[in-house]
Amino acid sequence: MVDKPKVAIYWLGACAGCDESIVDLNEAILQVVEAVDIVLWPVAMDFKYTHIESMQDGEVALSILSGSVRNSDHEEMARLLRKKSKLVLAFGACACFGGTAGLANFKTKEDIFNWVYRDAPTVVNPENKFPQTETQINGMTLTLPEFYDHVYTLDQIIDVDYYLPGCPPPPDLIANAVNAVVSGDLPPKGSTLAPRMALCDTCSRNKKKPSKMEIRQIKRIHEVEADPDSCFLAEGIICLGPATRSGCGETCIKTNIPCRGCFGPPPGVVGAGPKYLSALTSLIKAETDEEVREIIDSIVDPAGYFYRFTQPSSILGRKKPGKHMEE
Amino acid sequence: MEKYSPKLVCFSCKFGWGYLSDEPALASRITNWIPVICSGKIDTSHILKAFRAGADGVLILGCSEGHCHYQDGNIQTEKKVLLLQKVLETFGIEPERLKIRFSVDAEGKSIPLLINTMEKKLVKLGPIKRL
Repeated sequence: MVDKPKVAIYWLGACAGCDESIVDLNEAILQVVEAVDIVLWPVAMDFKYTHIESMQDGEVALSILSGSVRNSDHEEMARLLRKKSKLVLAFGACACFGGTAGLANFKTKEDIFNWVYRDAPTVVNPENKFPQTETQINGMTLTLPEFYDHVYTLDQIIDVDYYLPGCPPPPDLIANAVNAVVSGDLPPKGSTLAPRMALCDTCSRNKKKPSKMEIRQIKRIHEVEADPDSCFLAEGIICLGPATRSGCGETCIKTNIPCRGCFGPPPGVVGAGPKYLSALTSLIKAETDEEVREIIDSIVDPAGYFYRFTQPSSILGRKKPGKHMEE
Repeated sequence: MEKYSPKLVCFSCKFGWGYLSDEPALASRITNWIPVICSGKIDTSHILKAFRAGADGVLILGCSEGHCHYQDGNIQTEKKVLLLQKVLETFGIEPERLKIRFSVDAEGKSIPLLINTMEKKLVKLGPIKRL
């Protein structure tokens, strides 16, 4: 009997939404389990890390890693699974581009610790205690992973073979990815296992897009009752569709919510943020300078909006790992 | 302590700025000067890459309003600049480090002067702290 290919599923700096999406394969997950041998999946099954450590290098056929790399534990597990795996799939927006957690890069580690452990109104910390990587208690040393001063994408830490973006990735693309690994029918290394077009190309609302679009007022989605069939941008609602890869299944668009960009930029685009910024400003139409400024000033938190999922992989946001993090 | 001399990248429209000048001679007097066919041709990623590569400031020189050879490239870039300034601020880069100016100077005599004026402001700001 030929051994089934081994698959490890692991979360780094993640919320488990990506794991949930694997569960959402529903009945199809039974076929996956039939075809592969899952050797690690903390969110669903009980395996020990020592089990992975004792494996031969490259013994795992595929590691599906979700989440960004924010602390030394994430880094250690990413490196361990890289060593033990033939293929590594960066799974979900956080692993691919940094994800929403990557917005933390707009603040320093010090800002974050001060807020979380001292300044937030719900915090009671009279002794001003902050997390330490080492603490002595009764002659014993307790350790915690080190919180880095930056959120990294997976490929800034380890070599990544394939990417599957999304927050979370949709079940149909997950099934395609697993099938491709099982059958050995794989695209070139470095490929993103998702369509190559921009979301607007596949958006059903594109049909009702006016030939000439002009934005004279920015509206926020909670302030208006958006027409369920019209292009959001044509209504002045910020939608990241023009600078986002398609393949998500348009779950947001179908529930009358504009695209937030979780699939990252289409191929060939470095940084969805600046590209989207250019696209949006070209649609802004005003008669005077003051009116232009007024419209631009009405865009709340543009950096947070345009870099919602991609800050750590962006031109200004990316950072080389520190020296202590190099192998 | 070594004196801080800021790095400034200047993009200028060839239609409005320095088209009668001796371009190589002018270029020898100013570093990081990039004449482009229209200020509208400047992509936001060009500006961000300049900052990423170590620029302390970026100056864009476009044609006067209503005089863009390509209709409104200057206005399109001005809109990008206004929004990009807000984005840069979140990255910890002061908005004053990105400036756009509309005018016409066929001989380009004022380009070194404008660069110099902005460099003086950059000296006051000091190096970018967060990148």
